[in-house]
Amino acid sequence: MITGNASIQQTTTHKVVIPFYIYASLSLLAACVMLLLYTDVFDQHHFHPKTLAITHTMALGWGTMIILGASYQLVPVLVENALYSERLALISFVLAAIGIPLLVYGFFVFNMALPARVGGTLVNLAVLAYIINLILSIPRHKSRNVHAIFILTAGIWLFITTLTGLLLVYNFNDPFLPQNSLRYLSLHAHIGLVGWFLMLVLGVGTRLLPMFMISKYTNNKQLWIQFVTINLGLLLYILFDLASFPSASYMLPAILIGYGIFSFIWFCRKAYQQRIRKKIDGPMQISLLAVMLMIVPFIVLLVLILIAYYFKGHYQMGILYGFFIFFGWLTAIIMGMTFKTLPFIVWNKIYHKRAGQGKTPVPKALFSEKLFQTMFISYIIGFLCFATGLMTDITAMLKIGAAVLLMAAVFYNINVQKIVFHKPAS
Amino acid sequence: MKINSNSQEKCNQALEVLKDVYDPEIGLNVVDLGLIYRIDFNDAAQVIDVDMTLTTQYCPMGESIVNNVSGSMQQLFATYEINVTLTFEPPWDMEMISEAGKAFLQGY
Repeated sequence: MITGNASIQQTTTHKVVIPFYIYASLSLLAACVMLLLYTDVFDQHHFHPKTLAITHTMALGWGTMIILGASYQLVPVLVENALYSERLALISFVLAAIGIPLLVYGFFVFNMALPARVGGTLVNLAVLAYIINLILSIPRHKSRNVHAIFILTAGIWLFITTLTGLLLVYNFNDPFLPQNSLRYLSLHAHIGLVGWFLMLVLGVGTRLLPMFMISKYTNNKQLWIQFVTINLGLLLYILFDLASFPSASYMLPAILIGYGIFSFIWFCRKAYQQRIRKKIDGPMQISLLAVMLMIVPFIVLLVLILIAYYFKGHYQMGILYGFFIFFGWLTAIIMGMTFKTLPFIVWNKIYHKRAGQGKTPVPKALFSEKLFQTMFISYIIGFLCFATGLMTDITAMLKIGAAVLLMAAVFYNINVQKIVFHKPAS
Repeated sequence: MKINSNSQEKCNQALEVLKDVYDPEIGLNVVDLGLIYRIDFNDAAQVIDVDMTLTTQYCPMGESIVNNVSGSMQQLFATYEINVTLTFEPPWDMEMISEAGKAFLQGY
């Protein structure tokens, strides 16, 4: 009999979480296929149908879907309360799963009419369902929990991003905003990158990385400073952009956001130094690499601001900046965290009732370590080749990079399927 | 960390068995991890009370770890009723990891 003054938390059912992981892994594959097929578009302006299609497949299909899925699993750990509604979580999946391909198709064929509008609306509804679920999951007495605040704020920024995106889709054919949609593209992208992805990775990362490394390091004051600097930086950026301030003024929000990023890296470094668990496994290595990769787009951003100030526009640097974020930092952290979370979700599904009834495999035995290492190496090679191709304008390098990244995506998908369809030895 | 018990001999037997119950993520057993707080034996009533904790209150693996503790105890003490009480008073702390556990995590 199991009793106690504290009940065992019922984790979010795998039926809600796993579809997000499968959808995201297939999206990565689709994005890498497009990257290989349309390599030629990368020497053109980023407002290109194929570039928009690849970017949104990566940002929504890959990054956002897997983060939403992982959030539903991790919210109870982070806010110390059960998820409010699994049904609402499933609804958010269905809405996003239908909306994303419609939206991407709209970009791909450069038709901002019905499919893109319906797709964008469904994505917005999915995000709304996510935020409502999140708000109702955070208990009142935990409302000052810094991690909960990070996640909730990130969710709100995500909604602002998708809503802005939808407005831009409508504005494309039926202009109602003061200027054309291209004018607001950078604003839309940065609200998503900084407000959603960066805020969420910081909120979750500062809780999970020390937890996985069994580190004593904790510093709530530092986390609150990160929270304030990043949000203040983003708000100033939005203000400067809408008021069409000169390029040089963007240094101020960039420095504030940069401070938040470096503070996060510093936090991870301290947590790493004060860890009890010395051995760092493969998924954690790739996650820590992702933390380091955060510096790269920030440096490119500073160069971009200088270039914009002195030379007025440079397509390649903009593409490089986006590539470093989506295929660099974001992909690395998701690849690492997938194999830190998904095996446990599936293990729990299969083995929690078998506990105490003989030997069970450890969660990390649910995927192939060898395939993971091959994926890791392919990913690094592909990423470096493609980035070099972008910097040198060598098409062959871009093709090789895209092909190797596609290989990494295939290996990733095989390992994800291996976990999801794991069958216990009878 | 010292584990409270009213029967040291039986408690040692129990701890040996519980050393085969692992936190699946950390790879360390629940005893060396410091999750077991108390094991009391009531031979007259044939009841064993186990007080234990988890590394975090909303640990996703919590249910399986607690089930595993209960199941392993039941196998060893088949005639007893096993009552596992989950508590977070005091909350788990890294200092509760035994020296052997720390050495394991540090790879010695």
